Amino acid sequence: MKHKRIYTSLCVIVSIALLAVACAPAATPSVQTVEVMKTVEVMKTVEVEKTVEVPVTLTPPPPPEEAKELTVYHWWTAGGEKQAMDVIFKHFNAANPDIKIVDNPIAGGGGITLKTVMQGMLAAGIPPDTFQTLSGSELKMYVDGGYLDPVDDIWKDKNLDTDYPEVVGRMVTFDGKKMAIPVSIHRANWLFYNVALFNELNIQPPTTIDELIEVAKTIKEKKPDVAPIGLGTRDKWTAVFLFDVVLLSVGGADKYEQFYTGQLDPVTDPTVKSAFEKFKELIPYLYPYHGAKSWSDIPGPLAQGQIAMYVLGDFAAGQLVAGGYKEGVDWEAVAFPQQPEEVFLMIVDCFTRPKGIKHPEAATAWLNNLTDPATQAEFTIIKGSIAASKLVPASNYPDSLHQRDAEAWAQKRIVPASAHGALAPQNFLSDWQDILTGFLFTGDIQRALDSTALIMKNYDVAGQSAWYWAK
Amino acid sequence: MRYNRLHVILFLGPILIIVAVLCGMIVWTVAVSMDNWVGMAPVWKFIGFENYATLFKMERFWNAFKNNLIWMVAFIVPSALLGLLLAYGLSLSGRAEALFRPIFLYPLALSFVVTGTLWAWMYDPEAGVINNILKGFGLGNFIQPWIADPKQATYCLIAAAIWQYTGFAMTLYIAAIRDIPIEIFEAAKVDGASALQIFRHIVVPNVTQATMVTIGMLTIFSLKVFDLVWVITFGGPGTSTEVLGFFMFVATYRQAFVGLGAAISVVILILAILVVVPYSWWSMRRMQA
Repeated sequence: MKHKRIYTSLCVIVSIALLAVACAPAATPSVQTVEVMKTVEVMKTVEVEKTVEVPVTLTPPPPPEEAKELTVYHWWTAGGEKQAMDVIFKHFNAANPDIKIVDNPIAGGGGITLKTVMQGMLAAGIPPDTFQTLSGSELKMYVDGGYLDPVDDIWKDKNLDTDYPEVVGRMVTFDGKKMAIPVSIHRANWLFYNVALFNELNIQPPTTIDELIEVAKTIKEKKPDVAPIGLGTRDKWTAVFLFDVVLLSVGGADKYEQFYTGQLDPVTDPTVKSAFEKFKELIPYLYPYHGAKSWSDIPGPLAQGQIAMYVLGDFAAGQLVAGGYKEGVDWEAVAFPQQPEEVFLMIVDCFTRPKGIKHPEAATAWLNNLTDPATQAEFTIIKGSIAASKLVPASNYPDSLHQRDAEAWAQKRIVPASAHGALAPQNFLSDWQDILTGFLFTGDIQRALDSTALIMKNYDVAGQSAWYWAK
Repeated sequence: MRYNRLHVILFLGPILIIVAVLCGMIVWTVAVSMDNWVGMAPVWKFIGFENYATLFKMERFWNAFKNNLIWMVAFIVPSALLGLLLAYGLSLSGRAEALFRPIFLYPLALSFVVTGTLWAWMYDPEAGVINNILKGFGLGNFIQPWIADPKQATYCLIAAAIWQYTGFAMTLYIAAIRDIPIEIFEAAKVDGASALQIFRHIVVPNVTQATMVTIGMLTIFSLKVFDLVWVITFGGPGTSTEVLGFFMFVATYRQAFVGLGAAISVVILILAILVVVPYSWWSMRRMQA
């Protein structure tokens, strides 16, 4: 019995000791001086052997210089995107062979999961060396949290004020400081359509919302089995893409910018109301089961002729090409709307340099590499976007859609898209897409306008968007 | 072997640590729910119950709340009932039990993401297997938009959850039925009782303990449901299938209303306490009786 007790006590002591060891903070890799006792045997001339204890100070060899690393967090994980990211890595490694990239791809379209991960890492004070974000209001969340270092040094050094269109700079400027480096641009206002169907019915692609409704009506009459307008509101932001082109067609670019920055009262201003009226007119022509589909479910049926038209960004072209459908043969796309003015509705992907990172030099090298037109040119071909830099010519792109993207980038008025965190504040946008998807089932204009006005006021959209109008 | 204080510390230590962390987190969440924390970085500005007041004024909150209540009723009762019926059916089926038990239990082994993806495919109004089977059998009139219809979508989600959890209820009931002394069944048979009478007068009264455990577990599941909603409908169409857990995620991470999100968590916690504590108390008393 007594033995048992002793054993038990021993076990407990050992366990506690182990626990203490496990809980001890991990050894820091800094250089330390350690004092140890060493037993040394000394031979004396009298040939008496004696053992003495001599304190010896040992300096352990300095740890090997911390490997140069760069931790990257991004959401480019889908098929083509990963290969595109590899292009950036290739260019980076060519210029910085001694820096090892630690790649952390976080799946989730539009960075929805990455944002959650970042929120935790940044709050915990363990920022990665660089991470991906969208521009504008989404970037502002990180800026407001005080998590980012400005990148003005790179911006000036690389002369981005001349290389990039003015509005791109504005999308990353907060309190006069540039807070991220834009890399890749998507255009949100494309109208995709089935070529064979349009030829068969002898109709032209629409250029305004009224023409869109007219064309949809014709298709529904002549081809009752075809859904005139595709949509996949399981991804609720697709409803925003559709509404945005309606708003652009009804009110033009100025009203668009004003609405999404809280400068218009949706209840009193007639523009938003008439946009909702037109939006409502589209409802009978929408693919009826849009609530069960995501954005990527639509391009295939469009090319096969079950759906006639689809309003989305140029990234839908990637789906079509991946599905083996040919531009100009199976599908075609036109910028939409073209009246009152054709604009480039822009989505911007950026990378940042957070505060308190372990490898600021590597992060700077990373951002420098991203500004390189050669990197952007090769990357965006695979990614299915276009380069932020105006130095990359339209001829860089193998397909007509992206060539026209790049031409419009150089020539048309550029307007930040509301969706994907560019113009409208994030909290507003989240509710806004719910209002729009909900509206597609109720068609209740007054209720939609009232809810919109309420969240605009509650979330102080005007105040939150002041950055966009700052000089 | 006798147990002394050291044993107690050694064995209870880990659970105490877990409980301490859990309680710490709950206290932290309650504290956050009373702060005006908006944005990514912590904001410690005490505003009392303002987040709760905002929440209770939101139509969206009550919609999610209502959906959670629907889940509790429409998910728990059928799952438990089906589980019991299957368990009794299997106990009658003799050898076939060994074949069917794993089949019914199999869905439980799947993750919610897998279940969700499978059911999203099945519910697809055009390509989905459900509507196509209906069409194949000439039942075209019964074709539904399923998850594409805001009115039906929540029930579609619940059906998927029932599919997944019936096996769980069944397993608990199988164990309970096996615990019933075989002599009772034999005596009933000798007296000429039918299978239905045996079910009604012997099985049902003897599985109350299993019912308590089953209902308790299913309640907890229905309160914390999130994954299925996320995968199958993403809260849609519109906000029609949102539950409190989903709304909490949206408020906290997409809108950065962290204080409000914490308030929703506290509401979920209170709901869980309101349902689970009286239920446990009641079932403990019944067990002792």
